[in-house]
Amino acid sequence: MLLLLAFCASGARVAAQSSVASVDSLLDGSALNDVWIHINARDWEDLHTHYPDDTYYPVDFEWQGVKVRNSGIRVRGNATRVDHKPSLRIDFNHYVDGQDLSGLKAIVINNSWHDPSFLRDDLSMLLFRTIGIPAPRQAHARLYVGPNREYAGVYVISEEVSKTFLTANFGEDNGYLYEFHHQDGETYGFQDPGPDLAWYIPRFGPKTHDTESVAALYMPIRNLVQAVNDAPQSDLQARLSDYLDVNTFITELAVQNFLAQTDGLVGGVGMNNFYLYRFANKRVSMLIPWDQDNSFSMMDMPPSWNMNTNVLAGKIWDEPKYRNAYLSKLLDIADLVGRGGFEQEAAREYAQIRDAVYQDPLTPYSRDDFDQATALVRQFARERGSVIRQYVATLAPELLNGRSQSLSLRGR
Amino acid sequence: MARSLVGRIVVVAFAGVVLGVAVPAGAQVRLTFDKHPSLQVHKLFTVDLKANTQTDFRDFPQETGTAPKDVFDLHRVRVGIEGTFLTRFDYQVERELHDSTQPWRDVYVDARVLPGLELRGGHFKIPFSLDQQTGSMDLDFNYRSLAGTYLAPGRDVGVMAHGHLLNDVVRYQAGVFRQGGDNARASERTDPQTDRTFAGRLLVKPWDGSKTHRALRTLAAGVAFTDGALPAGPNGLRGKTVPGDSFFEHLYVNGRRQRIGAELQWRPSSFGVQGEVMRARDQRFGQGIEDDNLPDAVARGWYVSSTWLVTGERKNDSVEPARPFLTHGIGAVEIAGRVEQLRLSSDSPRGNGFSSPRSAWIAPRADNVWSAGVNWYLNNYIKLQAHVIREQRTLDGRAIPGQARLWSRILRLQFGF
Repeated sequence: MLLLLAFCASGARVAAQSSVASVDSLLDGSALNDVWIHINARDWEDLHTHYPDDTYYPVDFEWQGVKVRNSGIRVRGNATRVDHKPSLRIDFNHYVDGQDLSGLKAIVINNSWHDPSFLRDDLSMLLFRTIGIPAPRQAHARLYVGPNREYAGVYVISEEVSKTFLTANFGEDNGYLYEFHHQDGETYGFQDPGPDLAWYIPRFGPKTHDTESVAALYMPIRNLVQAVNDAPQSDLQARLSDYLDVNTFITELAVQNFLAQTDGLVGGVGMNNFYLYRFANKRVSMLIPWDQDNSFSMMDMPPSWNMNTNVLAGKIWDEPKYRNAYLSKLLDIADLVGRGGFEQEAAREYAQIRDAVYQDPLTPYSRDDFDQATALVRQFARERGSVIRQYVATLAPELLNGRSQSLSLRGR
Repeated sequence: MARSLVGRIVVVAFAGVVLGVAVPAGAQVRLTFDKHPSLQVHKLFTVDLKANTQTDFRDFPQETGTAPKDVFDLHRVRVGIEGTFLTRFDYQVERELHDSTQPWRDVYVDARVLPGLELRGGHFKIPFSLDQQTGSMDLDFNYRSLAGTYLAPGRDVGVMAHGHLLNDVVRYQAGVFRQGGDNARASERTDPQTDRTFAGRLLVKPWDGSKTHRALRTLAAGVAFTDGALPAGPNGLRGKTVPGDSFFEHLYVNGRRQRIGAELQWRPSSFGVQGEVMRARDQRFGQGIEDDNLPDAVARGWYVSSTWLVTGERKNDSVEPARPFLTHGIGAVEIAGRVEQLRLSSDSPRGNGFSSPRSAWIAPRADNVWSAGVNWYLNNYIKLQAHVIREQRTLDGRAIPGQARLWSRILRLQFGF
């Protein structure tokens, strides 16, 4: 019931129309934003030419008549870092200390380069938030550039995971926040690399407390990893309670598996696309999702997919009580999504961005690509729950007790 | 490219010297060591070998966001030769061994064309700023003034006419240079749009040689200018602190860079005073965020310094102790003090200033510096300098918190011949 209320509340919020130029209306997705980047023509050219660099250029950011002057812009991203239609990051306080946009110090503007539907990342974050996992808010925008207001295509605006995000979601911002950096050729999944703290430095980039010592920054992460490896699978919750909330981790695994995310906590390249936040004056940490544009990839992804590539996920899968908790969470999500709100949201967003995507001069995808991709997302939202229920019926049929009506009503 | 060009100048100059003065049989050859080793071949040519080093022991304040500085710094290791050939030509070749990126310093040939007219060609200092023109071994302080260091253009490849007129009352320098000097940002020097810089300096010593106004003989006043093309890009002049950290970043500029400066120097006896004021103006055509024209970027600097040789020697560029240490006395001891400012902003800043490199109005940032210390000339070869420096950085006229009073201490050991 709580989940239902949460989703309904979320849907109502998303559908709300607002004419007030507040940061909520920039990120709530209720309307297609028009964002205007005022930038010197030479800088815009240089930004494309030198897209692998993180060079900042000065811009004025304009949205709904609000202009944030002297902001900084740079190209961002890893696999989506391209010159044709670069993903961008705008730091409102890069040149002017303390400047923000209604509390936001920065925003990310993603090119959706790997997602012809433009919906995967945004809908994934919405599901995370609906299920109770803090995740960045996202919304679509038409991007206009330069003094002549040239249309540069549809982008996905994302809140950055920052101190502002921490305050809004946890009521504090003085803990330790790290961005995980996947290392090429590596498939890391909580395996213990040994006592050397230097191993953690390139993988966990500090976003707060970045001037503190290596020991202060990384010893707690090493302790977390060692605890994950040392904890017996039968007693994970108690043995890890000082380091990680196992139920929260199970929920995150379930959301990503439901969405068939292939580049998440148990992705094809190991753990990827997350922030780690260690709460202030505590040892316990939490993973915050990021960049979920590889979701909606396989309608028939089984619940066990890649679980054995991660030490903690493997223990969860191998221990019946935690596996059942994981499968139950998958069923909760299936029930929530099965009520139709998720599909309706996908359809609403498709209608909201369709014309803008059709006119996008820089997207590498055709109109047919876009239409087919969004149709697949809607089909996924409609049918994935049934697929999950069928898997659970095979793996742990007792979990479907009390949910049988739902199962019988929604055949695949 | 500059390096290879200067290198080629060195090779050509030496080839010219060797071929042009092929030593005839029986020519008189003399090797002497007065202040430095010197070779003289009849009246055909001379070669003076020069070498010098400066070693610093530094105590800079640790400032947030700046790289820590080593206490020990081998500041200069320089070798070179200079001399005359065919009686009409002077030359100098100097290389810094401690600098792998721009190792060549002065590499030029001077030709005495007419009385009062010499022509210089090669790689040498663009004539702007008295402090910048002063040789590094003859500085009264551990470092040049900030204005002399960061507003003056430095060296470049060019040709220059110079000389003395009216019984040395008037001295002039006027030249054209390939680019805007080696103090310019690397991106400016390598930009294909970069172009020639013109420079001139006029110095007047009205009482030079006067028998009635002896005290005013050394009074000199001068003006100087430079004017050069400034390629579009983040090539504006940068302001740096005494330890060398940036306090004003490069602005986007485009158009021309123009400098003007005025100088005054007076050394009546063991006492000396000098001062300079200079201004550099960078145009910013089309450099706004909307491709609009922006107000010029303006950098201003000034300093006033004074020295007093308490042991009584006469103040000159090169101080020679009357009683060298350990032979006849304690050497020469000099007290020196300087106050200076370097300030950068957009032209006529108003309203809320920003620090974005494409802002129209940029609030002025300044470094205000006091320096004081003692110079001890042990003999003609060794000098010790112990100086204390206080910096105060301001933004829009107000001291920046944490940068209102920053103390540095530098002890320099200098050796050269």
